[in-house]
Amino acid sequence: MGKIDQVSAAIVCPPNNQAGDDPFDLNKLRLSQDFGATLGVKKALLTVPVRKPGRQDFSRVHPGEDWRLETVILELKEERETYLIDPNLWGQLPGELIPKVLYTVINRQGVLMLWPISLPGEDGRHNEWHRVALEAAEMAKKQWIRLAANMPLGAYEVYQASADIPEPEWPDTTFQEILRVAFKDRFIRSSDHPVVRRLRGEI
Amino acid sequence: MQLEPRHFREVWLLDFEFSGSSGERPQPVCLVAWELHSGRRLRLWQDQLLAMKVPPYSLNKDSLLVAYYASSEMGCHLSLGWPMPANLLDLFTEFRNLTNGLTPLCGNGLLGALAWFGLSGVEAAEKETMRQLALRGGPWTREERAALLDYCESDVAALNGLLGKMEGIIDWPRALLRGRYMKAAGQIEYLGTPIDTSALSLLQQHWETIQDDLIQEIDADYQVFDGRTFKMVRFQDYLIRKNIPWPRLESGALDLKDDIFKDMAQAHPQLASLRELRVALSQMRLAELAVGSDGRNRCLLSAFRASTGRNQPSNSRFIFGPSRWLRGLIRPEFGYGLAYLDWSQQEFGIAAALSGDPQMLEAYASGDPYLTFAKQARAVPPDATKQSHPRERDQFKACALAVQYGMGEASLASRIGQPPSFARELLRLHRETYRTFWRWSDRVVDHAMLHGKLWTSFGWTVHTGTNPNPRSLRNFPMQANGAEMLRLACCHAVERGIRVCAPVHDAILIESPLDSLDEAIGTAQQAMADASDTVLGGLRLRSDAKIIRYPDRYQDDRGVKMWSTVGGVLERLGIDNLS
Repeated sequence: MGKIDQVSAAIVCPPNNQAGDDPFDLNKLRLSQDFGATLGVKKALLTVPVRKPGRQDFSRVHPGEDWRLETVILELKEERETYLIDPNLWGQLPGELIPKVLYTVINRQGVLMLWPISLPGEDGRHNEWHRVALEAAEMAKKQWIRLAANMPLGAYEVYQASADIPEPEWPDTTFQEILRVAFKDRFIRSSDHPVVRRLRGEI
Repeated sequence: MQLEPRHFREVWLLDFEFSGSSGERPQPVCLVAWELHSGRRLRLWQDQLLAMKVPPYSLNKDSLLVAYYASSEMGCHLSLGWPMPANLLDLFTEFRNLTNGLTPLCGNGLLGALAWFGLSGVEAAEKETMRQLALRGGPWTREERAALLDYCESDVAALNGLLGKMEGIIDWPRALLRGRYMKAAGQIEYLGTPIDTSALSLLQQHWETIQDDLIQEIDADYQVFDGRTFKMVRFQDYLIRKNIPWPRLESGALDLKDDIFKDMAQAHPQLASLRELRVALSQMRLAELAVGSDGRNRCLLSAFRASTGRNQPSNSRFIFGPSRWLRGLIRPEFGYGLAYLDWSQQEFGIAAALSGDPQMLEAYASGDPYLTFAKQARAVPPDATKQSHPRERDQFKACALAVQYGMGEASLASRIGQPPSFARELLRLHRETYRTFWRWSDRVVDHAMLHGKLWTSFGWTVHTGTNPNPRSLRNFPMQANGAEMLRLACCHAVERGIRVCAPVHDAILIESPLDSLDEAIGTAQQAMADASDTVLGGLRLRSDAKIIRYPDRYQDDRGVKMWSTVGGVLERLGIDNLS
């Protein structure tokens, strides 16, 4: 049997019951339930699809000028792959490159993507699909829209959300980072790239 | 001021041995108490205890009582007519809090706690022998008395060792808050719930006959029983006849778990009677219902047993066990009334308050969060009412509850009788409408997985352990803070003089003489609102009251049909009825 005073020799003092110093004041005992306050967890951006928003997705376009890029891209239709091309190589792939503007887009589910829309060609002509898409992208800077192809019409139909939907929550990142993630394996920087060599008929 | 053990002038470790059969109040047999500072030791036998008008130790604010599972000690105090102590530390609740979510090798009893800290206790076998000796009741021989006192003292010595190990890790002020609940729990266990013992003995006496007749009556609509055996093949045929799709196990067999049956009965109300019959046949162990000679159901509340900190009384001994129709046995005594008080949409309110989601707070404040959710999601017009859009309200209610239970789209679809795509859309709407809540909820899970634990507003902690369940962790703040709220409400109510018969998940059952019933209900509802305010830091949750005045009996809505069916069976058999 242990000594009776084994617990604490200091259990001797009467409680301090001064007014305003109540150890049982429940308001002082309440612990924070905001578990994220000290957590330091941030969602990592590891995938950014390069595609137009789905026909069921209501989406918004980032309104910032720095959040879009006018460039040329290479589309491999069969593989459904889109490549970003270093400007130094633009002259080496005549007829393969398409001028596009890449918009930063987010849908209601919080999926971030780059939306490539074709720009007018060298002749300055713009087909109806691309014209409507550009117009829709401009609308989407201010309101939630949905884009659905109407084949008989020969153009997209644009649906605007009539309800008062909250503004999008853009992730804490930069456009450069979004580009880097979107094209991490699909950025052609050298003429030795297998895709370039294949298009030249070298392999 | 930071409360610490040194602030107490006297610290008494105590243990009672007591007798008393199932449902009866504890009858103290002996008491051993040690005072830590002075070294005083008390060994008192029953006759000495009964002669004492006040306890032989101080109960003042500058004293502390320490026990292991203290509601029993409090029951002995009440049996002796002694008051409650100002401060109570229960090392059981503190050991549970320390190891909740982990698996102590030797359990959560005193021996388990001692083993956890590497201390030795009395042999388990000897403990059981001695407990039985006390429970048997007197008279005891001189040797038996000495053995019981020695055994009782060995538990106090063990308690002393345990306190030595735990004093430095106990979160003192919150531990004493838990001790405060154990005082309330002791008083609630002591009071118990009034039972219509005539109806109970009728049911007990004729249960065999009732079962056969019930099957005959209810199964007439289903044709799935063979004698008293539920036949899966016949049930399968019934489902095909009625065109009801049913979830299956991986093996292909119908999944007949009660949870599934419950969901399906909600989606297809024609199955409700069959489900209730299955529950009644499997769970009605009337002989085990703990009813004392004074006609009151009384059993250990098993406070803090659930990982959420909720009470976990025995299903078969507690009148609020799973057979809802049996709650019809609850009946106020002559001249008394009962009130069943439950918080309205408690978990929704907790989620709103803790996450600070403005939309969710607005929905709770509206008084009908489910309809408001449907409005916020623009599924119904702004002027929709419960009457104009009952179906939509039910679906959004099911969705809100599904989120609270961590249900996926398949389970929700089955519950609302809609395809999974419909359920998926509802869940998506919840995520979109209550974004702040979801961000907070994701952080809760992240925190638990990163730091290994979560806690409530007043420090009830769950450890994630080696096999964490993210769904349970996500739900923990709602469930466990709900438990905090119920405990605090019980403390307030009991301390304000309310006769609390039983705590039931998010509700309390109180009783009062009829002439003061309304006043008692007001006081108890105030206690519940105060408790929610304190736990949630400013949000006062509403509560509803179901009032039962003698000679009426309590009825759970979901058990009324079964109760009247059983009553009809008895009447047909010419035995009596349950009115």
